[in-house]
Amino acid sequence: MSTIPNVQVGAAGTGPEIGLVEELQRRRALVRDSARRSIRRRRITGRAMQVICLIAVPIGVAPLVALVLATVSKGAGALSAGFLLHAPTPPGVPGGGISTAIVGSGEIVAIAIALAVPVGLFVALFLFERPGTIAAAIRFSADVLSGVPSIIIGIFTYAVFVERFHHFSNLAAGFALGVLMLPIMVRANEEAMRTVSVDLWEAGVSLGARRSRVARSVVLRGALPGVVSGNLLAVARGVGETAPLLFTVASPTFAMTLLIFNDATEPFPDAQRTAWGTALVLLVLVLILSVVARMVAWILNRKAR
Amino acid sequence: MTDLGASPVPEAIAGSPTPGETGDGPTGLRPWRKRRLFPSSPFYAVVRWGGAGLFAAVAIGLVVTIVSQSSQAFTHSGISFLWSGTWNPDAGEFAAGTLVVGTVLTTLVAMAIVVPVGLGISVSVSELTPRWLAGPLSTSIEFLAAVPSIVVGLWALLVLSPVFATDVEPALEGLPVLGRIFHGPAYGPSVLLASVVLAIMTLPTVVALSRTALSGVPMADREAAMALGATHWQVVRRTVLPGARSGIAAAITLAIGRALGESIAVALVIGNRPAIPHSLLAPGATLGSAIVNQFAEASPGLGTSAVIALAAVLLLLTVLVNVVGQLLVRTRGGRRVLSARGAAT
Repeated sequence: MSTIPNVQVGAAGTGPEIGLVEELQRRRALVRDSARRSIRRRRITGRAMQVICLIAVPIGVAPLVALVLATVSKGAGALSAGFLLHAPTPPGVPGGGISTAIVGSGEIVAIAIALAVPVGLFVALFLFERPGTIAAAIRFSADVLSGVPSIIIGIFTYAVFVERFHHFSNLAAGFALGVLMLPIMVRANEEAMRTVSVDLWEAGVSLGARRSRVARSVVLRGALPGVVSGNLLAVARGVGETAPLLFTVASPTFAMTLLIFNDATEPFPDAQRTAWGTALVLLVLVLILSVVARMVAWILNRKAR
Repeated sequence: MTDLGASPVPEAIAGSPTPGETGDGPTGLRPWRKRRLFPSSPFYAVVRWGGAGLFAAVAIGLVVTIVSQSSQAFTHSGISFLWSGTWNPDAGEFAAGTLVVGTVLTTLVAMAIVVPVGLGISVSVSELTPRWLAGPLSTSIEFLAAVPSIVVGLWALLVLSPVFATDVEPALEGLPVLGRIFHGPAYGPSVLLASVVLAIMTLPTVVALSRTALSGVPMADREAAMALGATHWQVVRRTVLPGARSGIAAAITLAIGRALGESIAVALVIGNRPAIPHSLLAPGATLGSAIVNQFAEASPGLGTSAVIALAAVLLLLTVLVNVVGQLLVRTRGGRRVLSARGAAT
């Protein structure tokens, strides 16, 4: 930076001094040039940083694309009607399928839904009806519980059910998945209920309706899109879980995720083919669930308007 | 949008207030607190309190069960179980030290990968790319969150691991300075591969949460910066990123929590050697992967209790991290993240 000489405008003399015009022009040029340099420098750093940020996008998307492509290309080879309908065969015996795993996963998830969905709704209604310290504590523990690793929930269920009754079962696995899904459902339901306006609730009670009636006809009705999509997303998360089933299901052929886990480490090409096929089925199932969750929310929201 | 035409309606009426946070309503009552005054049915009360009670029972039962079942191992090894070195069930030595190191190491390496990439993506999606591209881009990355961890693990074991063994790991070993942390034979399954898998799995969490935090920065702040002559990047760097700071911190903390606890995918690709890895290419073990591998083989009694003690250590770690994360989410700047959390976790 060059220092600008201090010119005294109109000092002492009566008219403009010789060279003042040139001096002012010189200063204007100086300011203009340094502004140009500044904006050029800032634009160049900006561009460079933007390019660095944009480079991150392909880096992040590449594994996703590679993962989906690999699963589709390797899984499609294994898929057939028999694959979905036949029971698994021992290694080396051709013609095996994954029907038991599909049925088992369905059973486990159904049990988990039956356990977790009602409780999730009740807890959310509790949080809705009774704000205060207890509700804050429950809300906080739901948030922390949804971050607890699924393997710990598996161990917990093992200790509570399997060890006590000396019996692996789909019921225990369903309980484990239910515990996993419950905090997610509670928070999703509560968020959905928050969107219902206070005015509507007040209108309901001022008509003389009981709180249970208002909860059913106003709160749940208004929160329905969020409740349905939130619960579906929680189910999608539960379907793909392996760790809670590891110590609770009797045999790896009784759940899709366990079957993949088991077959992935087998040296036989047939087992790996089965693993890829099952992974594809699972991926499609989870994708359908997430898409349906978003569509349900969208359709119900539009209907409500 | 300008605020010039904003109505003078107080927020208590204009916005839909949230329970527990509402101040005095328009009537002077605090409607959400006086709800007890309105009639309810006993059945409804039983349902609500029953639900809350069940939930509390599960949450408390989880902690109590894990702690009580692990007490045998803790009395056997003492509190040094937490840090002392060896895990050797055959010799009756149970200690979580090496596994805690493995867990923290994989998580740190994963964060070193996922934080720059995730932040780059969220800045790109929320500030740099046009809307027609940003929407599909963020949806597809959030779809990654729905991919079951076992599928990621399968892909990493059967596709990524051979590529790592033949190409990536030898190339890393040849690096001038960094080669020092990448020495040793390239097997494929390694601490590095596990970290990459964790990075892939936590990416959607980081992107979804920090994108919400970024787009929650008020438009007026950006406009003010622009009016002062800031370039597009300067607006992002000096206004948007600082404004989203606590939301981004919450996103990273919750991602750390996920990375610490992931067990199945890690168990497939880390190589399962319960020792301090001397290089990132060496096999290792984490708390989660050790639980997966050891639990079925553990001898009844002390062996099982020791594995459950590993779960207790993991529970402690993740609960600590998640409590910090949730406190960050609950700060002013982080609150916006809450509503996006459901979709991302």
